[in-house]
Amino acid sequence: MARIAALLLISLLLGGIGNLQAQTAEEMVDVCVGKAGEDATYLKDFKVKLGVPTDGRPQVARFPLVLSSNNIYRFSVCDLPSSEGKAVIKIYDNNRLIFSSYAEDTKEEFNPFNFMCKKTGIYHIFISFLDGKSGEAVGILSYVKK
Amino acid sequence: MIRNSLLLLLSLPLLFGCQSKKGKWSDTEFDVPDSIEIAADFKISEEALEEIVQNVSSPIEMSALIKEIGTPFSVDYLATTDFVERYNTSFQMAYMLGVFGADLGYLNIYDKNTQIVDYLTSISKLADGIKVGQFFDFSSLKRLATSRENIDSLMYISVSSFNKMDSYLRETKRGHLSALMITGIWIEGMYLATQVAQDNSDPVLQTRIGEQKLNMNNLFLILNAYQSQPQIQELVETLNQIKVEFDKVEITYEMGDPETVEQDGMIMIVQNERSIVHITEEQMNSIIKITEEVRNKLIEL
Repeated sequence: MARIAALLLISLLLGGIGNLQAQTAEEMVDVCVGKAGEDATYLKDFKVKLGVPTDGRPQVARFPLVLSSNNIYRFSVCDLPSSEGKAVIKIYDNNRLIFSSYAEDTKEEFNPFNFMCKKTGIYHIFISFLDGKSGEAVGILSYVKK
Repeated sequence: MIRNSLLLLLSLPLLFGCQSKKGKWSDTEFDVPDSIEIAADFKISEEALEEIVQNVSSPIEMSALIKEIGTPFSVDYLATTDFVERYNTSFQMAYMLGVFGADLGYLNIYDKNTQIVDYLTSISKLADGIKVGQFFDFSSLKRLATSRENIDSLMYISVSSFNKMDSYLRETKRGHLSALMITGIWIEGMYLATQVAQDNSDPVLQTRIGEQKLNMNNLFLILNAYQSQPQIQELVETLNQIKVEFDKVEITYEMGDPETVEQDGMIMIVQNERSIVHITEEQMNSIIKITEEVRNKLIEL
């Protein structure tokens, strides 16, 4: 209930009441932060606009960030309505994939998902679209309250 | 009343005695008009710099930890907003924007709405001063702060505003101001944590402080890109006092594969690779001491 009230308020502040069907990446950040859950505190957003594959290689957006040990982080991703493809968010530690919001083998989606960090360091967030389609999306990094 | 008198007393040397002291911010002779774009000193590419800038952690995380370990709120940890009008160069304004931003995060975490308004007012002035005030919705934030029901929204809009200001500064080739703001946020977060650590030897807090070695190294990469500016060079020299202490801290790693568990209906990836911070009591005490000195020196007028 509190989350809904907060969302409505944010929409009001931005002059977009009732318009939860965000049209811009900026509006989508507000909506996506709301979807992250009541126990999540927004830290950062990653806006992505990708085209179709170039030279046969799907486009991917990459963002480095520092995560701290003893924290639980939540990752979520939201597509803009205009997006052709479905966005997938992945977290990498060096070159090693830690988790993807979409499991290719089972076709399951895990959005949002939590990450219990035990190693402070630089991680990389990758955002791409399924099947190499073009699209626009926002990724959200939140801190999960203990 | 006693506190106010004490503050006034303490502020007298700041008001009258600090202008010629060595080591604090330089006078305005090196100040650069906000309209001037300053490119990084190309020892490091703009793209690489962009990556590094993304890599400085949020003050919310440090404040949240401070609260989680049971530390009571203390207004004494915060930088005073009383002299905000006197921060009048773009360097001072950008740096203090970061300092007050970190303090705002601390106040938000502790739901201290009364004090929040003071900080919002100061941040708004500083943001206007470096022409990023359009990203700081002061009236909405003030309204949220005075109606105690919307803490989540207040926190979100505050953090989001700082992210937008930071992005805009870099987009408009004023990365040096973004670097200063980030430095202010980091130093103030360090100050809050180390002040708490003076009286609380919580191992998680001590580890978090030790881990700041990584953020400090990132910060140096950012600042070094603008070292051709005397004020930034001076700042780097000051911060180097903390770096010297952090260089003695050792961080080792223990390998392990992540596992996936389900908790409250949501997937959680538990990392089993861990970082271990090796920091002695002596090193911690040195970091606490030097952080306090550096932080106080940098907010001096």
